[in-house]
Amino acid sequence: MPTSYSPYWNPKNETLPRDELRALQLYKLRNLSEWAYARSPFHRRRFDAAGYRPAQLKTLDDLRRIPLMTREEWMASQLERPLFGDLLATQEVNAIRYHLTSGSSGRVPIRVLDSTKDWEWISELWCYGLWGFGVRPEDVVYFAFGYGSFIGFWGAHYGAEKLGALVIPGGAQSTENRVRQILEMGVTTVCSTPTYAFRLCQQATEMGIDLATDSRVDKLIVSGEPGGCIPAVRRRLEQAWGARCGDVAGMTEIGTLVVFECAHQPCGTHIIEDHVLEEVLHPERGEPVGYGELGERVVTSFGRAFMPLIRYRSRDMVMKVPHTTCGCGRTSDLYAGGIRGRWDDMQLIRGTNVYPRAVEEIVREHDAVDEFQIYIWRQDDLRDEITVRVELKPNRVAEWPELREKLAAALSSAHEGLRFNVDQVACGTLPRFELKAKRLVDGRPMTARGG
Amino acid sequence: METDVLGHPVTPTEEELLALYGALKALAGRADLPPCAARNVRKALACLWQVVTDLDLRFEQLYDLGV
Repeated sequence: MPTSYSPYWNPKNETLPRDELRALQLYKLRNLSEWAYARSPFHRRRFDAAGYRPAQLKTLDDLRRIPLMTREEWMASQLERPLFGDLLATQEVNAIRYHLTSGSSGRVPIRVLDSTKDWEWISELWCYGLWGFGVRPEDVVYFAFGYGSFIGFWGAHYGAEKLGALVIPGGAQSTENRVRQILEMGVTTVCSTPTYAFRLCQQATEMGIDLATDSRVDKLIVSGEPGGCIPAVRRRLEQAWGARCGDVAGMTEIGTLVVFECAHQPCGTHIIEDHVLEEVLHPERGEPVGYGELGERVVTSFGRAFMPLIRYRSRDMVMKVPHTTCGCGRTSDLYAGGIRGRWDDMQLIRGTNVYPRAVEEIVREHDAVDEFQIYIWRQDDLRDEITVRVELKPNRVAEWPELREKLAAALSSAHEGLRFNVDQVACGTLPRFELKAKRLVDGRPMTARGG
Repeated sequence: METDVLGHPVTPTEEELLALYGALKALAGRADLPPCAARNVRKALACLWQVVTDLDLRFEQLYDLGV
């Protein structure tokens, strides 16, 4: 095995000049839309309704002729023709794996099928991300993940195997056992949600273990929540683990990771642009927004053609910045701050927009906070209220009076003077999460929600 | 002269990879292979598909070959 490696998994494409990258994307988009039109009744119907034909695709700007695809259309197709709708572009018998979305949005889960080559691609994109952050064949990679029908870190598991690392599947066991295994096996890289990375630290502390000094972990790769690119979350995780923390993100609808943070840690995620085409559009008007502007992420996947995903509206909130923002040499653009949350996460409280990520950014600045929850409720059937419930670390409860004032002031200041209630709850009472954390609880009547 | 999807001439190494990819595609299209060969050829073809896709040598779907 070589002792020095390329910093890039795919040096050719990760450093491809931008004009060639765009030519490659156009070639793949034309090919994929021809395939989808010929083979997927779902796409043929939508393309026909929009008057779009793949032959019209002469430049990348022509992609706006292709109708946007929504999750609602996909769900409706599934409900009309169970189990998979008419999105399929090949026979079900060609599939080797079934997964579904996490259901964290409370809606009907999306069901997906993939073939042998699709799974090769799914693991490949994880290789771009894992390698890009510094995972190498000498690493021991631990997946603190339940290995169920939700796709989660499945692709990462195969990606880490493919690049030659020793993989430890940490499924179906207690947090305590996971901590023990991380120590016993000399794990160097841990993959989990940011929330669960905190949970592992809490558990280790209860066991008298300091992961920063007692473990060999030097890389923490987090996904599934926006936390990895929230500076306060990252700082606390890096301190607690004594490791570099990197953010990656994907989605079940695509099947894999499509953006990753490189070893330069720009607090932003490179888009794997030779395998996906990512647009950023105004969430209401649908027009493209420029570099440095917030918008909705719209994804076209060149890898999974079993169920082609073309101009899929993710509802993810992102801000694209040019590749020169990062000094790693990759020519792929980045999402500054990673995936910043979801446009439909926004809550309207007495006329002010509140995003859970913005609340988390403030709460996590305070090291005494162990866990928190955002509770929205209605006062006297009339006025919406927002309460941040805070659980302190057991040895830090004396700090509460001062912390409460600081939090209330900071939250209000960041939200146009909106008054936040800040309550303390007893240690260990708020829920802990292994997968995607649900820290927002909406107690308002269903018919009266403003967000 | 063999070219990649962007029209650039391929290197000798890329030519070797394309030849291997073509051979595996041909094998995957045959109906006379025993199960152990048929399925492992498909797995190998999926890996080579990934290589030729990553290197921009080819971009195509293989579902009709059961891959």
